[in-house]
Amino acid sequence: MIEARHLYKEFKTPAIKGGRFSGVRTLFSREYRVKEAVRDISFQVLPGEFVGYIGPNGAGKSTTIKMLTGILHPTSGEVRIRGLNPHRERRKTVQQLGVVFGQRSQLWWDLPVKDSYDILAHMYRVPAELKKQRLERFAELLNLPEFWDTPVRKLSLGQRMRADLAAAMLHDPDLLFLDEPTIGLDVHAKQGIREFLRQLNKEYGKTILLTTHDMDDIEQLCSRVMVINHGALSYDGTVAELRERIGLPAVITVTYRGGCQIPVLEQPGLVYRIVSAEGEILRIEADLRATGVMELIKELGTWGEIADLSIEGPDFEEVVRRFSE
Amino acid sequence: MNSLQTWMHMYLLLIRTTVRSRMQYKFNFVIGSFLAAFIQISEFLMVAIVLARFGGIRGWSIHEVGYLVAVMTLSKTLYRTIADEVHHLEKYLVSGDFDQLLTRPLPVLLALMPQSFRIMIGEVMQGGFILWWSLAGMLQAGTIGWPTVWWTPFIILTGAIILFSIGLATATIGFWTTRISELQTFTEDAARSAAQYPLAIYPKWLASFLLYAIPVGFVNYLPSLYLVKGELGAWVLAVTTAMALICLAAALRFWQFGITKYQSTGS
Amino acid sequence: MLYFTLASKAYARNLQYRGAHLIHNLASAMFGFIYASIWIGVGDHASLGTYGIQGMVSYISFTQAALWVTSFISNGLGIPQSVRTGHISLDLMRPVHLFSHLMAREWGQIAYQFIYKSIPIYLIYVFVFSLQLPMQWTTYCLTALSLAGASYLAICMNYLIGISALWTTESSWLYWGNHALINLLSGFFIPLEWLPGGLEKLSWISPYPYLLYVPTSMYLERGNIAWLGGTLIWCVLMTAVCLLATRVARRKVEVQGG
Repeated sequence: MIEARHLYKEFKTPAIKGGRFSGVRTLFSREYRVKEAVRDISFQVLPGEFVGYIGPNGAGKSTTIKMLTGILHPTSGEVRIRGLNPHRERRKTVQQLGVVFGQRSQLWWDLPVKDSYDILAHMYRVPAELKKQRLERFAELLNLPEFWDTPVRKLSLGQRMRADLAAAMLHDPDLLFLDEPTIGLDVHAKQGIREFLRQLNKEYGKTILLTTHDMDDIEQLCSRVMVINHGALSYDGTVAELRERIGLPAVITVTYRGGCQIPVLEQPGLVYRIVSAEGEILRIEADLRATGVMELIKELGTWGEIADLSIEGPDFEEVVRRFSE
Repeated sequence: MNSLQTWMHMYLLLIRTTVRSRMQYKFNFVIGSFLAAFIQISEFLMVAIVLARFGGIRGWSIHEVGYLVAVMTLSKTLYRTIADEVHHLEKYLVSGDFDQLLTRPLPVLLALMPQSFRIMIGEVMQGGFILWWSLAGMLQAGTIGWPTVWWTPFIILTGAIILFSIGLATATIGFWTTRISELQTFTEDAARSAAQYPLAIYPKWLASFLLYAIPVGFVNYLPSLYLVKGELGAWVLAVTTAMALICLAAALRFWQFGITKYQSTGS
Repeated sequence: MLYFTLASKAYARNLQYRGAHLIHNLASAMFGFIYASIWIGVGDHASLGTYGIQGMVSYISFTQAALWVTSFISNGLGIPQSVRTGHISLDLMRPVHLFSHLMAREWGQIAYQFIYKSIPIYLIYVFVFSLQLPMQWTTYCLTALSLAGASYLAICMNYLIGISALWTTESSWLYWGNHALINLLSGFFIPLEWLPGGLEKLSWISPYPYLLYVPTSMYLERGNIAWLGGTLIWCVLMTAVCLLATRVARRKVEVQGG
């Protein structure tokens, strides 16, 4: 579906000079500062995959997406989208892509939402009958009719994102690129978007690649995650494996009926750290790969009468942050 | 050709929907149009008062100057109605919205133009009024015949193509500099304003500049030398047409080249 | 000191784009060149009264340079924008009066435009048209006074246009309407004495002549000192209207909560 081979991208910016008449001197200067935004990235995405592409700001996420979608040309290396080169055959390639940039809309600002769809349908040569069918389907999934006749500029952020998703799917592409689709949305709106994406992937077999800062997006949607840092891929695999690799501790919260007695000496073979102990509630961190869950719970049971116990996986935000350092 | 047809369909649809959504505020629309016409006319009025008082300029009567102004206005209106977004390319480059245009299955220019459609009724009224007034004046004075009237729409069209080409070439420079509005003031606004008056009033170097460097003189002045003043010969119309096509081809080539220099905004 | 800080911030903000401003100045100078050429063309076969061709060229040169401090100032002082974003209610509730706050900022803008637009543009004309500079220092004083008054008036007018954005979404019409009236009534292109009778009378009962015609006449030493009284009266009048408008605006914002 997607094939990226040894992608490099450099940006040249004229070196800004300081001092007197700096503006004029910069204008005529031939000096450039070269910034390597992406360094030797290679990967393959197979049909039906749902890939999360994450990394800190400025790591090269957007640059990669822009190269995959034909917006930027790689300095070297090659991209294939379903066998096509998005650089040389841009129009043919993008006809088969859906692209959504969370920060900006592809709809016509002053026109009612449904008029934008009419124009897009012409642009992508979607026959009227198919357009109607698809819109009916999206209308239900994304609850479009509530703002059908509203000009785009008057939509809320969540509504706009729903409208944009439908727009990106109007020509029924098999491959969807989403750059921060949940940015700035409230929890409820995020859930709606995720539900829609999940259906696209599971029921319609769409291949999706998304970038995000929201780790819930990754955890709830992605079968695979790629981490980029300083322009290079630092991880490519499953979400669970990533977590495993970093070995961040899980957090265990225990509620004791009538409080608990924390032993002074640690049991040999058990590695944990007490985060907090307030009244009946105790929170400890433990690396569950090193310490078996059952042994740990058994041990905790000796400290008091357990009323409730929950285990949370490592915080994903934390995972990526540590990975990126 | 097929893709051009699809594009025309799309553009017509955009026009229909824009007009429909604008018509929801009829009152604002009507008042706005009249006001725009009045404002535009105030500038011509300012010069017309002087010409009326002092009797023409360098052998051009007030009606003849009016004709130059009207053709320029209508050519500009035609260009900006269809391709206003070319003039506003800076906005796309600064905000990064240009990226989105590159994800369209169309040549980028054809994806850019239908991003918005501008209704310029005010300018049409102003240009139309001055054109009617100056043609009527010249017909009455017997200095022109009806053929001039028939040829006018044609030179408005070639003029629009020339102005579009100038606008496109200027916008293309934005791929290197990002900021282009100041340059546009120069190549579009100042040059166009200058060519609203007979180029004969300017020093030689400026007149040549407005004919060959920024060819606004071909929009109205050169064709008018033949159509209004009866000078030169009918070949002027052929030259004007050729100039329009050459400008268009050159500007499109330059645009194609400029796009390859596009660097999307960072990160 | 606050007002000075506001003004100097506005001034400094403009210093970033020098290359672009160079091009813009050339383009701006071009407009004056066009108008001067029209007068030269007209003067070719008709007498230009007491001005003469050189006089009219001087006239146009000065108005074109003065425009940048008396006409081309921020649209509505930026108020329409802050109305759209809702920022206006914050601005109105500040301990600083909105009028003086915006006025200070605009003076910074005007100072910038005076130094980087008016002066270079005028210098271009001095060389291109071989203009004579006035010899008497009193001329410079009177010109400075009338220009300062004109800038003040322009700020007031744009303040009122801006404030109107609280009531109408189409305040840009007023801005453009104002421009059309400047074109016709301020002596922008035609000295007022050559306007058709009715228009000339109309212009003198409006504030427009004080924007361009009066400063230009002062500079060309054809003015009447009494006109400065007119400038003063309009400034006082406009200030009163602006303060009144602010009060009404504040009440409106308080009632509607922005």
